[in-house]
Parts: sequence; C-alpha cells; structure tokens
Amino acid sequence: MTDSKTLAYINMYAIFGTLENLCEIDENARALLKNKKPISIGFEVKDGPAATLYFKNGYCRLEDGCAPGCTIKIPFSSCEKFNGMIDGTVTPIPTKGLVHIGFLLKSFMPLTDLLTKFLRPDPEDLKDEKFFEESTVLMFYLITVALSQIGNHDAIGSFSADHIVDGDILMSIEGGPKATIRVKNHHMVTIKKDMGNPRSLMEFKGIKLARDLFDGKVNAVASIGEGTILMGGNISMIDNVNRILDRVALYLA
Amino acid sequence: MAMKTYEYPKGREWFARATKVIPSGIYGHLGPAEGNFIPVTSFPLMGDHAQGSYFWDVDGNRFIDYMCAYGPNVLGYNDPDVDAAAKEQMKKGNLFTSPSYKMVELAELMVDTVASADWAFFAKNGNDVTTGAIMVARAATHRKKIVFVNGFYHGVSPWTQKIDYPGVLPEDVANNLYIDWNDFDQLQRVFDDNKGEIAAFISTPYLHGNYFDNQLPADGYWQKVRELCTANGTVLIVDDVRAGFRLDLAGSDHFYGFEADLICFCKAIANGYNVSCLCGKDFLKSSCSALSYTGSYWYSAVPFAAGIACINKMKALDTPKMFREKAIKLTDGLKAAAANNGFNLVVSGEPALFYLRLADDDSLFIHQDWIQECVRRGVFFAGHHNHFMNASLTDEDIAFTLEVADDAFKAIRPKYK
Repeated sequence: MTDSKTLAYINMYAIFGTLENLCEIDENARALLKNKKPISIGFEVKDGPAATLYFKNGYCRLEDGCAPGCTIKIPFSSCEKFNGMIDGTVTPIPTKGLVHIGFLLKSFMPLTDLLTKFLRPDPEDLKDEKFFEESTVLMFYLITVALSQIGNHDAIGSFSADHIVDGDILMSIEGGPKATIRVKNHHMVTIKKDMGNPRSLMEFKGIKLARDLFDGKVNAVASIGEGTILMGGNISMIDNVNRILDRVALYLA
Repeated sequence: MAMKTYEYPKGREWFARATKVIPSGIYGHLGPAEGNFIPVTSFPLMGDHAQGSYFWDVDGNRFIDYMCAYGPNVLGYNDPDVDAAAKEQMKKGNLFTSPSYKMVELAELMVDTVASADWAFFAKNGNDVTTGAIMVARAATHRKKIVFVNGFYHGVSPWTQKIDYPGVLPEDVANNLYIDWNDFDQLQRVFDDNKGEIAAFISTPYLHGNYFDNQLPADGYWQKVRELCTANGTVLIVDDVRAGFRLDLAGSDHFYGFEADLICFCKAIANGYNVSCLCGKDFLKSSCSALSYTGSYWYSAVPFAAGIACINKMKALDTPKMFREKAIKLTDGLKAAAANNGFNLVVSGEPALFYLRLADDDSLFIHQDWIQECVRRGVFFAGHHNHFMNASLTDEDIAFTLEVADDAFKAIRPKYK
C-alpha cells in the first residue's frame, strides 16, 4: 500500500536531503568532495519532485526545484524511473553537463554509496559506537523528512495530515539532532533544527532508544509508558504524526 | 504551605513487570500513552483498591477520581446496594446454560426507563452495542453507508476506526462518511449526495471528543436531524455509552428532546459490573432478532442484577440532577481558582461530564503542567478527556479538590510569568 509518487518525493527530499547531514558529520563524505569545483545537480521528475543538489567545499545543500543554472541536469520521465535510479535498476542520463560525468561517477555515486552504508548498515558496523551514532542521526533526519513527504503525498498519510492543526512539532533525540515539522493548512515541511516555541514535542531519550524505535525493536506506545519517549503540548498533533511514522517504515523498507 | 506531592516507586516496579508480559505494559485508555500521562512520572500506574470517589494506587497514594474508571463508577466504588445485589446473584449463579430471568427483569427496566426504547439487547462493552447498532441498521435498510461526526469515538472495531490506524484496512472504513458537528447543512448535502445509500447516522448526543472543547447541540439541531433521517429511511443511532444516564435516566436523546431509533448504553448501567445494552424502536426489533451476534459472557447474571440495583438507585437519588449541581459547584470553583492565580480555565460540555482546558497557551503545555500537579496532590484529572461525576462525591471532596487546584496553580505560576 505505497505509491511511486510519494516514494519519489521521499527519495528526492529525504534520501538526497540526508546527503547534507552526511557531509556535516562524516569526514569521509567530505573527503569525496574535497578540492572539487562547486557543482550542482538538478533532478526533474515528470509529475513528481524537482530539486537541486549543490556541492561546495566538501558540503552539500538540497534546494527545491531544478535550478536552470545547474551544472548537471538529470530528467526522469516518471516517478518510477527516478525511483529506479535510487534502487539501482535505472541508469540516469544527464541532458546537461555531460562533461562532468566524472563527478557523477567518482564523487556523487561514492557519496550515495556511503549514505547507503549508513542508512542500511551492516550489523557488524553498528558495533562501532561512532558509526552507530552517525547512522542513527542520519536515520533521524531521513525519517523526519520522509514523514512530511508522506503527510503531503500519500493518500493515507494525507488523511492523518488533514487532522493536524497548524503549528510546529519538535522531534528530537536527547542530546542529539532536532527537527521541526511545520504544519500549515495540513501541509507539512520538515526543518532540520529546533525552530523554538513548538506547539507539541516528542523527544527520544537517547540514541540507543531512537535506534531501537527506528529498527522496530521497541514500540512508541510502550516507550511513552516507560518514560523513554517524552511528549507534550498538543497531543493530537503527535498522535497523527505517529500514524504517519507508521507508514515511513513501509516506504523505507 | 504547599501540599505534599506523591511519588510512585512501587507503581513503576509493577509497570516494569507489566511491560515484560503485556504489550505496552498497560494498553488502551488506562495506559500512560492513550491516557496522556504527561509526564508519566507524575501519574499513578497501578491501582490497589477503591472506595466511593477514591482509588488508592500500589504506593498507598489516595486520589479523588474524576475519571470514574472512564465512566462506570456512577454511584461510588463498592456501592453497598449494587454490590449486595451482585453478591446475592452470585450465590445463585452467574453464567449457566439457561440465561437467568434477571436478564428479562433488566430488559424490562431498561424499556421502562429509556424513553425511546421498545426493547433491550445486552452485551459487554460499548463497542459491542455500537457494532450491534450498525449491524441492525444495515440489516434493516440493506444499505452500506454510515455517517459519522468528525471527532467521534464509537469503540475499537475496525469500522469505528480510521483509515490511518494500525491494523485497519481501507475496506474497513470504505463506507464511512464524515461531517462536522452541528453542521446540519453539511449533513443534508451528504444525504443528498448519497440518496438511498445511507444506512445510519451515528453520533454521541453532544460532541464530547478528546483534545478539544466539548460542544453542545445547537438549538433545533437534533430535531432537524431526526426529521432528515426519518425522511430518508436512515436509522438514527445515538451512542450514549459515555453520557448515558448521567444527563437523563430516560436517555440523552430524551434530554435533548428527540427520539433515537437505536441507543447504546454501557458505562453507567451497573456501577462497574460489565454489561452494555442496545435499546431500539419496535420497527427494528426483527432486524436485531435476525443478527448472528452473541458472546460467551453476554448472559452473565451478576451484572444484570447489579444493573437493576444501580438503575433503581440512580432513580431514587435523581443522579442526573445531583451530578449537574455538584459539577457546577466544582467547576465554578475551579474556574475561580484559576482566575485567582491569573489563569483562564475553560469548562465545556455538560456539567456531569465536564471537560477542562487552560486557555493560556494554544499548545496545552500549561494545561498539562497544571493537570499533573493536581494528580501529584491527589486529584485525578485527565489531560484531554471529559471527566465523570459520581454520586458518592461529597462537598468535602469538592472543597479538597479546589484546595489542590489552587495549590497546583500556585506551583506552576512562577514558570509562566
């Protein structure tokens, strides 16, 4: 019960968007982009999302819309084709910037491979404390961004979003990353920081608990009782966000 | 001097044990997640015993209980008259192959008591009878669609849930239509758009949902709904599981001046003994008879005996009048305590099921803070659910509640200057 358009939005904004965070927290990611000229890749999906990835000084930034001035442009004829690129079954063909194919092959693809390593980790890798923490932080950003995309595009997710009142929902891992889900007229946008003055909040007590939740090893309802998830404010917002969270796993599986 | 506040070490221990063998430790409405225990450390998790208007948790903390087990406590925990009737029946037998004649006596009493009732059908929980009502309506009309009011709660069966709830299929709710409370024009449009397809309109007598101020029916609303349903051959179902017998012993439809075709009761029938009841008009009796609908414990005689004693005692005490008077005294006092401390407490819904909200911020953080301070001082209020009055609540209990409310307001005041 998933649809390819919602998945395309998740792939564009949640998966590619997490490259921003990967470059911030992982030196190997930055090393892949080091000593490279600033470059941008525009993605345009017919009847789907469009966004541009900017790479500069070892860091990455995702902006909405396929920028006319992007260095490389990769269009897709459908959401299915775009999703196929993400799962490796479709080879992307740039229509602009072919001379920068080297960046795609030697920097961008290794960067996405590195992201995959963190988002679909080998259990052995998770035994390393630093890797475990970085992987969980990246999962946090991935999930919080995917949540808004599902609320905006998935039929059942939209039903949940239709029941969320306007305001900010702060999601966080204690001592770690924070994200604000901003809701206006039932449209959701994830901002990857604490915007202050939330109308409701949900905090996971510690990185280990967050990981177990993301992996489906523990349940949010049980964790609230155990006091390892704190919630407050307008609880109906949290209630509906939790219903959308249920669907995140479905799309990211 | 500030009041002493409670701690819950034994409750936490019991909860930890519970989580090992019970999904989420305590599931459902009595659990910390659905019950909105914010923060969970401020609330009792496991009870030990109860009496009258109080319950005590496993740490020995006493609470004046304004949730009344979410409604069943209507006369006071361990009411001597109800318990005596139950014990007497228990001596004779509870559940055996031939149903006890007590079922007939209770059915007769329900029909005599509830204004719109021509017959009574018994089950265990509210969900059993709301589901039964929908089945009767579909059996009688041979139609699929049901109209709900946004913000509804009619139980836990898949048809009562929403498309985004875990375990619910789109097919389970495919025939559900939704309108807003008190919006008769919208209801009229839905009827027009689904001519000849709507089996039932189901609603609580007023909007007593969670997380928002409760809303009473507009003048003439129910009368127009009644006419519309009759004109379209649609069954009008009143879900009186929550409000039933607390507003009017003749039913909440009677209270608001109309007659339901089907009306569902549960919480206040038997003061905690487990029985629910679907009452209906004569023209739906044969459709109810036709249902394949029963349960292993639906014929337990002890709850029938308890129900008879409870209903007769509610009549003798005129509990709806009592609840209204006591609740107004209580909620007026709470509003005054709030105002004296610079807060704005909004009280909504019918007094017997009053709903509280501190309106000083739209996030409800302040409200939740005040609620938890009340609970830690021995007054069990719910954060985002209506409350329930019971007949054993005394003026002294109300006075103590107001002292606690004031102390709780004073405790949070410095944080919200």
